[in-house]
Amino acid sequence: MLQGRILHVDLTYGKTHIEEEPELFAKHLGGTAVATELLDRFGRTDLDPLDPRAPVILAIGPFSALYPVATKTVSVFRSPLTGELGESHAGGRLAAALRETGVDAVVIRGASKDPVFLHVDGHEISLRSARTFWGQSSPATDRLLREALEKKGRKLSLVRIGPAGERLSPMACATVDNSRHFGRLGLGAVLGSKKLKAIAVSGKGSVAVENPKSYRDIYHDIYEKVVRSDEMKKYHDLGTPANVLTLNAINGLPTRNFSQGFFENAQKISGEAFLEEVNVQHMACAHCPCGCIQVAELREQFAPSHYSTVRVSYDYELIFAVGTQLSISTPREILRLIVFIEKQGWDCMSMGNTLAWATEAFLSGVIDENNTAGLSLSFGDTSTYLEVMRRVSEGQGEFFRDLEKGTAFCSSKYGGGDFAMHYGGLEPAGYLTGENAVMTWIAGVRHSHLDDNGYGIDQKLILGEISMEDQVKMQVREAQWRMVLNSLVICLFARGVYDASTISKGLEALGLDWSPEKLLDLGARALKAKYAWKKKCGFSPERITIPEKMLRVRTSNGLIDRERMKKRLELFLRYAGLPCPCLSSEKRATT
Amino acid sequence: MGEKILKVVNRDRCTGCFSCMYACSRHVKGVGGTGKSAMRVRAYSGTEGAFSIRVCMRCIHPDCAAACPTGALIPAPGGGVRLDREKCVSCGACVRACTIAALQWDEEERVPIPCIFCGQCVAYCPNGVIALVERTSGGE
Repeated sequence: MLQGRILHVDLTYGKTHIEEEPELFAKHLGGTAVATELLDRFGRTDLDPLDPRAPVILAIGPFSALYPVATKTVSVFRSPLTGELGESHAGGRLAAALRETGVDAVVIRGASKDPVFLHVDGHEISLRSARTFWGQSSPATDRLLREALEKKGRKLSLVRIGPAGERLSPMACATVDNSRHFGRLGLGAVLGSKKLKAIAVSGKGSVAVENPKSYRDIYHDIYEKVVRSDEMKKYHDLGTPANVLTLNAINGLPTRNFSQGFFENAQKISGEAFLEEVNVQHMACAHCPCGCIQVAELREQFAPSHYSTVRVSYDYELIFAVGTQLSISTPREILRLIVFIEKQGWDCMSMGNTLAWATEAFLSGVIDENNTAGLSLSFGDTSTYLEVMRRVSEGQGEFFRDLEKGTAFCSSKYGGGDFAMHYGGLEPAGYLTGENAVMTWIAGVRHSHLDDNGYGIDQKLILGEISMEDQVKMQVREAQWRMVLNSLVICLFARGVYDASTISKGLEALGLDWSPEKLLDLGARALKAKYAWKKKCGFSPERITIPEKMLRVRTSNGLIDRERMKKRLELFLRYAGLPCPCLSSEKRATT
Repeated sequence: MGEKILKVVNRDRCTGCFSCMYACSRHVKGVGGTGKSAMRVRAYSGTEGAFSIRVCMRCIHPDCAAACPTGALIPAPGGGVRLDREKCVSCGACVRACTIAALQWDEEERVPIPCIFCGQCVAYCPNGVIALVERTSGGE
């Protein structure tokens, strides 16, 4: 039962075809490792990330649609935000739908002249016109296409971009089903540059397994752990917003553009407060009995005696990005910002951080009313933030058009680089926990908090001393191990359930021979392959600078030290078996 | 009297994880995916988040069997239907006859998927949405 059906889409010529490459999955398992191999084969490091020839690759893995919480699909591309590896993972129903149509990976190249969408309908694959709904918001696109395409008895997964992706904003995301996202690093812009508005996948096939008896037994063990053990309880109950109070308690909750790790109104916007005030339902990705998607309802009066109601999902990173970072203190106000961002199809984390930079830039005189066309930016001012985003979405004025290009672009053009929160072009996630978190943003393959659990290691340090060498070793081991998890592809929230032995047995039931040692080897290999591709794009971790402000702000573990960070990077590269370049000591320019 | 029927008891607690459909395919047909499931969770668009669960009602006089032109789908003792594959001509009349769309269709083998009321979908629902209960009235 080896996977290997790869759907090739050429948007320039409007052609699609399937190629069988079982050896690719035999060697690389699936998911992120397979996608990286395909990126190496088809990716172009000599061209602009939005060049029509740049590919977008999607991949699922051997556990997709077969084991609980194997819900993620991997996307890789060249990021318009960082210029190097773009990689983002999304849940929803996409992985399950792809598996049931028998498509294990998708390679999309070229660009269409007119807006199109890709329709994978069982074994029928077509490119169809998207002219009628080009320009529609992300949720509207979902509604329109779902009604048009849904068939009785089938699940349908819909990936789509919003107007931000159409405008080629490098922080544009691609949204999947119920507010799941390929959020980070600008996949939305790459799809927009190809005029590919949406990808619809609907199938109803079954997946044969080698040994149904042991498959059922292993499935049952995993299911029981997911549903009944403590491994996933946090996600099942409060979801990721549980982090608000956890991080605030250790002064690790980034507040007002990373000025401090304590938000005075954290209680009011905690996971608990959201649950009490606005949560209406939990939802799940297809095949996840945990169900961590937190759905809120925002009811607003739009005229005397008249209300409108919208449902939107929220997560910790969103509460951080447009909550604590902007000093917004009520769930309702945070939801209003999220709804706007969701419609436009921006990455909420990048937009929140960029608004935080803009606010600090305005307050410190780096920009003024001439830039903002009279708007006065202040932390905590929801109405003004909504007005800013409205102007961005309508392209009103140069400064507002620039804002959706991200923190790095704006700070290099307008100044304020020393408080511009980005690492190599990507705005960080919500952790002011210490040096390990910063190391993740520098050395993590996708500069994501999910790369190697740096913030988790920081949290362990509060409980007891660990040598720097051991911290970095833990980080590298985790980075390599997550290559395995991301190749299966499971949701990382279930990482506590999927240990090496469970995975190995799970694969064996499917007729796939992967010992724990072989899995670890794959992890180390995949990490190196990603670094090799990043290097081809010109990436070098020692050239990623830490915002000066970060060196003056107290984290959960005290101040961040530039020299120690250099040492950490050296160790990281050595432990991962990566070439260690001569480390530069340059400071980031302040303009 | 006495036979078990499936009942959607907490529709509003469904999170749309589809564990029930995976369980049905896995346990009854020994395959992964949801394509051979005899029941269905339907998701509505966007984050509106409403799910509708369709399980076989175990009708005593099933419309699906009545619609079968070849006698492939036959009423079973105690309600519901059994499939005689040899006689099935894949016309789909049975699925169309089930007004509430509870009878599912196997797209690969092009046959209906009668429910056997084994309760695996119930066992793997993490939220107690479906129950296997004793039929208490006439059933129709």
